[in-house]
Formats: sequence, C-alpha cells, structure tokens
Amino acid sequence: MTKPILEIKELKTSFKAYNGLLPAVDGVSLTVNEGEIVGVVGESGCGKSVTAQSILRLFDERKEVKYEGEISYGGVNLLSLKAKQMSSIRGNDISMIFQDPLTSLNPVYPIGEQIVEAMLAHQRISKKQAMQRAIELLQLTGIPSPQERYHQYPHQLSGGMRQRVMIAIALACRPKLLIADEPTTALDVTIQAQIMSLLARLNKQLNMSILLITHDLGIVAETCHKVVVMYLGQVVETASVQELFQSPRHPYTQALLQAMPRIDSERGKPLTVIEGSLPTLNQLPQGCRFVSRCSYATEKCHSASPILKPVEGVQALVRCWNADLIKIESRSQGQQARSGGEDHVIQSVQS
Amino acid sequence: MVKRQQAEAINLYKLARREQLLQQAFTNTRLLWGSLLAILLLVVALFAPWLSTYKPLEVDIVNRLAGPSTQHLFGTDNFGRDVFSRVLHGLRNSVQVGFIASLLASAIGLVVGLYAAMYRWLDQLLMRIMDALFAFPAILLAIAIMAALGASMLNLMMCLAIVFIPSVARIVRSSAVVAKQQAYIEAQRAIGSSDTRMIWQHIMPNTLPALIVQGSFVFAESIIVEAALSFLGAGIPAPTPSLGNQLSEGKMFIFQSWWMTLFPGIALIVAVLAVYLLGDGFRDLLDPHTAKKGHAKALYKRLSGLNQAGKEGTAS
Amino acid sequence: MAIYVLKRLLALVPTLFIMSVIVFIIIYLIPGDPARVMLGDGADEATIQQVREQMGLNQPVLPQYINWISGALQGNFGESYFLGKSVMAAIGEHAGPTFSLAVLALLLSLCTAIPLGIAAAKHQGGLADKLLTAFSLLGMAIPGFLLSLFLVLLFAVKLKWLPVSGYASLQDGVWSYLKHLILPAVSLSPLMGAIIARMVRSSMLEVMNQSYVKTARAKGVSEHRVIYKHVLRNALIPIITVTGGAFGTLLAGAAVIETVFNIPGLGQLLVHSVARRDYAVIQGIVLFIAFLYVAVNLIVDLLYVVADPRVRLE
Repeated sequence: MTKPILEIKELKTSFKAYNGLLPAVDGVSLTVNEGEIVGVVGESGCGKSVTAQSILRLFDERKEVKYEGEISYGGVNLLSLKAKQMSSIRGNDISMIFQDPLTSLNPVYPIGEQIVEAMLAHQRISKKQAMQRAIELLQLTGIPSPQERYHQYPHQLSGGMRQRVMIAIALACRPKLLIADEPTTALDVTIQAQIMSLLARLNKQLNMSILLITHDLGIVAETCHKVVVMYLGQVVETASVQELFQSPRHPYTQALLQAMPRIDSERGKPLTVIEGSLPTLNQLPQGCRFVSRCSYATEKCHSASPILKPVEGVQALVRCWNADLIKIESRSQGQQARSGGEDHVIQSVQS
Repeated sequence: MVKRQQAEAINLYKLARREQLLQQAFTNTRLLWGSLLAILLLVVALFAPWLSTYKPLEVDIVNRLAGPSTQHLFGTDNFGRDVFSRVLHGLRNSVQVGFIASLLASAIGLVVGLYAAMYRWLDQLLMRIMDALFAFPAILLAIAIMAALGASMLNLMMCLAIVFIPSVARIVRSSAVVAKQQAYIEAQRAIGSSDTRMIWQHIMPNTLPALIVQGSFVFAESIIVEAALSFLGAGIPAPTPSLGNQLSEGKMFIFQSWWMTLFPGIALIVAVLAVYLLGDGFRDLLDPHTAKKGHAKALYKRLSGLNQAGKEGTAS
Repeated sequence: MAIYVLKRLLALVPTLFIMSVIVFIIIYLIPGDPARVMLGDGADEATIQQVREQMGLNQPVLPQYINWISGALQGNFGESYFLGKSVMAAIGEHAGPTFSLAVLALLLSLCTAIPLGIAAAKHQGGLADKLLTAFSLLGMAIPGFLLSLFLVLLFAVKLKWLPVSGYASLQDGVWSYLKHLILPAVSLSPLMGAIIARMVRSSMLEVMNQSYVKTARAKGVSEHRVIYKHVLRNALIPIITVTGGAFGTLLAGAAVIETVFNIPGLGQLLVHSVARRDYAVIQGIVLFIAFLYVAVNLIVDLLYVVADPRVRLE
C-alpha cells in the first residue's frame, strides 16, 4: 500500500487565452500509491478535472495548454515524454473514464470494437483473442449476455451500461492506474451506487489504483482511502478519509462538509452553502485564494499565500495559516450550526 | 452575491464582445477589400461611357485582332472593337443586370419568406415551390427560362430574379420564424396589432441583416450566371457588350488573341470577388451567429465552463 | 430501414411534382404561339399545325400536362422535331460524356478537398487553413467556364500539352479519354472542392470537440487513427449531404464547360436546342437532371444508413 505509483509535483496547467495564460491548475502535488483509491474533491471549476486530464496530457499542447511541473509515473516524468511514448502509456498503464458515458463512446462503432481497439493499440494479440478478452471484460464489468452486447452500438445501451463499457475499455490492457473523472455524475443514484461498487471491486480484485475525481463527498467517504481537496487550482488539504471527515482542517474543507446533506440533520432546515462563488482565474485574490470566502481570514491571509504543510502528529497536509487555530474553533461552530445558529461561514440558501 | 458575480461575468463578456466588434470593423480585411473593389466597380459601372477610350460598338476592320498597345490598352477584337472599352461597358451591363436581378429577388424573396413564416398554410405551399425551384441547378433553370423568354436584358433580369428568389426566401423565412417567436412579438400579438403591421414593423427589421448578406451573395451569383448565359448565347444578345459575350468571342479566337479572353475574364473575377467579399464582410459584422465564432465568445465559454458559480459542489 | 428509405422517397414526391410543373409551364413563358416561335417566321401554316399537334399544344392545359408527365415517368420525354428522334434517345446519346466529366470532377474535388479540409481542421489557422480560405474564395469567385478558358490558354494554346477540345470515349483508350477530360474536370472541380473542403473542416472541428474523441485519445490510439477512424467517420454525414447537394450544380457546370471544350454532352445538346428553340429537348434535359437530383438525394439517404448506425437501427 505504500509504494507510490503516481507522483504529481507542482503541476501547473495553464490555458492559453487571448490575454495570456490562465492557470487552471496551479502547483498541484499529490501521490497515488499502489492499490489505493484517492479521491479528488472540490467545486466545479477548481481544476480537479483539468488535473486528471493533464496526467494523460489530453489537452492540445500546441494550442490549448501549457504544462509545467512533474508527473512521475514509474520513475518517468510523463510531461517530458514524446507524443508517441505518451500514447503508449495512455490506455495501457494509465486509463481514464469520463463524466458522461452518453457521449464518451463513439456512436458509429459497436462497443466490442471499441474495447478491442484499446487492446490492439498496445498489445500484440490476434483480433480473435482480443475479441475473446473483450467479452470477458464485459462480463467482468457486469454486463449481461456480453456476446450479444459486443456487437451492439452505444445508443442501444443505457447510461449505466455505457459507463460499464467505458470501464471495460479502460481495463482492456490491465492498467495499473485508473483515472475516473466524475464517473457517476451523469447517472441515476441507483446506477451510481452500482458503478461505484464495481470500481471498488475492481480495485481489490485487480489491485488497480484509482484516482477518483468527484464533487460528491458521500462517494469519497464510502470508497476512497485518501482524499485531496482542491480549491481554485490548488490542493488545500490532503488526508486519509477518516482523518479528513473526522477533523477537517482547512476552512474550505469544513465548509464543504457542512454543505453536505445529512440524514440526521434537522428536517426543514435549509442546507448550508459556502458564501460567494469562485473568483475567475484572471482576477485571483492576493494572498490565500480562499480569503474572500473565509471567515477566519486575518491580515496575513490577505497578503501572503500559505503553503501546503504537514500537520503535526497525523498524515495530513493543509494549506492554511490558521490551521491549528481553526481546528479547535470549528468543533464548537459545527455545533452552533446544528443548533440553528448563523455565522459568517455558514449562510442559508436564501441569502 | 451570486447575482453580482453573474453580472460581472456578463459585463466581462460584453466588454470582450464590444472589443471584438471594434477589432472586427478595423481588421475585417474582407470588408475593406470588398468595399474598395466595390467602389471601383461602381465607378466603372456609372462612368463607363466617359472612362472608355472608344465607343464599344465602333468597328475598325483594319485594326482587327490587334494586341494590347498604347492605343488599345487591352487590344482589339475580331471586329477591331476596343476590348478595354468593351470590358468597361460589359462590366457596366453585368453589374446592372446583377444588381437589378438581386434587388428583385431580394424584394420578392423577402415577401415570400415573411408571409411563409407568418401563416402555416402559406408556408407549406410557398416553401414547397421554393424547394422545387431551389432543386434545379441555377444555370440550367436560367437557360430553360431564357430559351422560352428569348434573349434580352430585361428578360435576363427577370429570369435571374426567378432563379434566385428561393435562396432569399429560405433565409428570410428562417430568421423571421426566430423573430416571430421572440417574446416582444408575442406581446405585440397580445395587444392586438394587425398581422400586416406585425410583419412589416416588427418581424421584417429582424430579417434585414440576413437579407443584406444573402442579397449580396445573390448579386455575386447573378453576375456569374449572367456571364455563363451570355457565354452560351442565352443571355445578353450579341452586339451589346457583356463579359459573357466577350468571353464567347474570345473562345473563338483563343489561338490568335489571348487578350480577348484574359481581360474580360479578369474583369469578371474582380467583379464577383468584390461582391463576395462585401457579402462576407457584411456577414461578419451583421450576423455574428453564422460568422466564425469570435475569440471573446470562445473565451467566455471556457471561463464559464471552468468557473461556474459555485453551486454544484456546495449546495448538492 | 426499408421504411426509412420509403419515407425519404415519399418526401421527395411533392418536390418532384412541383419541379415537373415548373418545367412544364416554361413553354407558357414563350411569348406567342410556341410552335410558330419554334419554326420561325418562314414556316408554312401546315407545318405549324403539325408541330402543334405533335407537341400536344391543341389540348387544354391539364390533359397536356398529364400526358406529358405520364410519358416522362416512363422515360418518354416526347419527340424532337429537329432531331427527328425521341428526346430520350437524344439524351441517351449525350449523357455519357457529361457523366464522365461530372464523376471525374467529383473524384478530383473529393481527392483535394478531403485532405485539405482535414489538414485545415487539424491545424486551425495554419498554412492549410489559410490555403483553404484562399482556395474557397477563388473557387467561389472564378466560374468554371472562365477557369476552363484560362486553362486552355495556358495548357493548350501556350504549352500545347493537352488538346484544346473534343472528346474521346473510353473505347478509344484510357489515356486519350483522360487527356480530353482532364482540363474540363480540373476547371469544374474548384467550386465543388471548395464547398466540400469547407464542410470537411467545420464538420471535423465539431466532432473533434466530442468526448468520444477524448476517449479514443485516452485509449492510447495513435493520432492518425483518432483523426481518420474516429473523427472523419463521424464527420461524414454532413460531408455526404453537401456533396450530394452540390452534384446538381456540378452537372450544370459540366453542361456549360462542355461548350468550351466542344464535348458532345448534355450541355452541348442543351445549348444547341436553345439556339434551335427545340423546347421538347430543353424540357427533357431539365427534367432529366431534376430526376437525377432526386436520385442523388436518395443515394445520399442510403449513404446515411451506411454511415450512421443510429439511422440504420431506428
């Protein structure tokens, strides 16, 4: 469990805009160990998806983006690879599945062919063998009567089925790491649960690491071993799942947790939201990026950006000047919130 | 709070859009070149009799098929007529025919398109006819009509107008349908304006940008088809100078005198290019939807995609 | 699928009907008596009466139309007074060269337009893209017959590489056949090529934004395969549509260019018929091409079925 398989160091992904570069991901570091499921959470637009796609370098580097930093996989910096070498990593060592299974499969080819294509791109096997394996994969991902499904087209399958096919494509070459970019966002709740338990099963069965991008903290709590919280292109907190949910240290993490609907919360009480919204990338605040939405903000927070630093005593990193202070306060505030009290961090939906 | 953010985003977008429009007007090279060429064309069309060095029908058998010289800039043709003067008059005729034909086609197409958009039953009838007319290759239909009407300049204008009505009517209809659905027009209906008033006062102005753009394309097409018809002998009848006629004569003497083909040909290209560029430029300015997506729009899309107002992750 | 094709076919019936009416009423645009106009001022009364009879002009309009269209549907477009044979036979004799020319020009434009469109889409704003813009502007602005004249000036008159005019059928040998068709086909292709290339570019750009293209890249498939197997295949439908739609224009363009090169095709027949005022032939040719338009549309619909499984399996 401790051998790192993927190490991202100070990744910076900037989009080329007419007035310069917009850093959607700004100095992200994270590690995925062998057999581990790492969740990346944050609001839409915090750069989690961009981080995921940067790992496989799926953006067009000539026109769209500029990558900086290091993405180390098996001792190789992926960002330094040539296009061809990168292709041999994609789908082979590292696979990826996407948010919307409805549009992620090519509508004009039977699904079986799309699985086989992934194998033939990397392995020297006959078409027949590949077909056999594809059917096995369909079975492994829980698709009934895989022989028939093999020849069907994406539009003949339901959303959940299509995501299973996407997973089958991703598994085609037995990758060591699967990047799942919001794999269940577009699906019904019951299907969500099925897909998540499938991913968890595959993680155990194949000892395949998973980097799970999601905004759903419930999913994270259930499936992940480790969590990375992102805000505006930066990692603000990293910890094991237990640690993070028990004692969130960053004000943003705390707010996220409080915004989660809970079965034991008082009925009729509105859900809490985080005040304000993300500043745009071309008008970032000075100092801490969360400063405009944080109630703990001090002078220092306005002037200097905090760095991601280890928390004493536990396996966690947090990017906050006042982390030690906040931890104590937050408990009492959490209780206040539950008893209906309003404060600066937490506001009702109506505001 | 969220509202303020949205307002900011919209402002940002508006600013970028205005910047883009200004930038477009200045950097719209097509519009610039189109306007320059069109002005040149207009000058030639209006002042051809004064600009030309000879009378276009002046025959000079002694100097027939003479190459370009200081006396005859573009040489002379098989009757010894001055090619330069004939090109100027040919341009004048071509532009005149094309302009009147496209004006007619635009006017009729506008009426057809507006009323088709307004009434269901008319729509079925009119647009079926338009579709059928549209299905004929323009030149072919024009040849058939000209064969029946007989070659003359007036017939040619009418014929070209008929051929190009559908392309205008279709465009007008589709933008009129959009305009009709817009809320303020619904409101007009609710307060009981008459249909005629609604069509001409409220819907018609909304179709104008598309009409102007399409009208200029029809203008260019008319010039081409007129030239082709005259080339085939079904357009402007013989002694009258027209670019098509001259090319047809040029073809007969292509071995002896290249100038009889080259100069009218270049004149035709310049004329068509001028009107096309103008139409393209108009489209970029007036009709941003069909024009290439501007930088500002793409940027806005990207920004809003990356930074949707923070609701999903927190309130769900 | 059979139902789909049938539906498409039925949808074309009203269009075809109105097209036939339009062709039919062209006769009524003739100022005065068509028969008299046809035969000219010197004709005697008896011949005029005979021609009136032959053209069915003595009947009222409706039976006249019904006669004409029912004949046309059976492939009988009437008799040509001047040629002394059936219009259909005349069309048959002249169709070959026109088709050869149109198909060759189509192939030529596809072969240039598709690679150019792909290259322009792959490198937006790059050299190929600029080339495409210039190419399409010229394609629009230079009519085919004018380009053909320029090409004749250059290759036939100045360089003497190719024949100025004439036509050789395939039986006379492939080289001779191509030699006579190459200039006409080259002059015909830029407009078509420009239309197709622009469609290829925009259609490819649209597909490139689809997430299944991202999936294909994430699979580790080579960029070449992503473009040709995933993007192009999905971009095909609009390309097919525009190609089919432009085929009519291509045929008409072929008709005009034939007269430049003296190719004995439908265009030449048409132009001669216009000069002779042989209305039956003019109507016949126009209607024949209208039929062809419908046929091409049907082929396009069938190609959709091949190109898109969603249509096939509906």
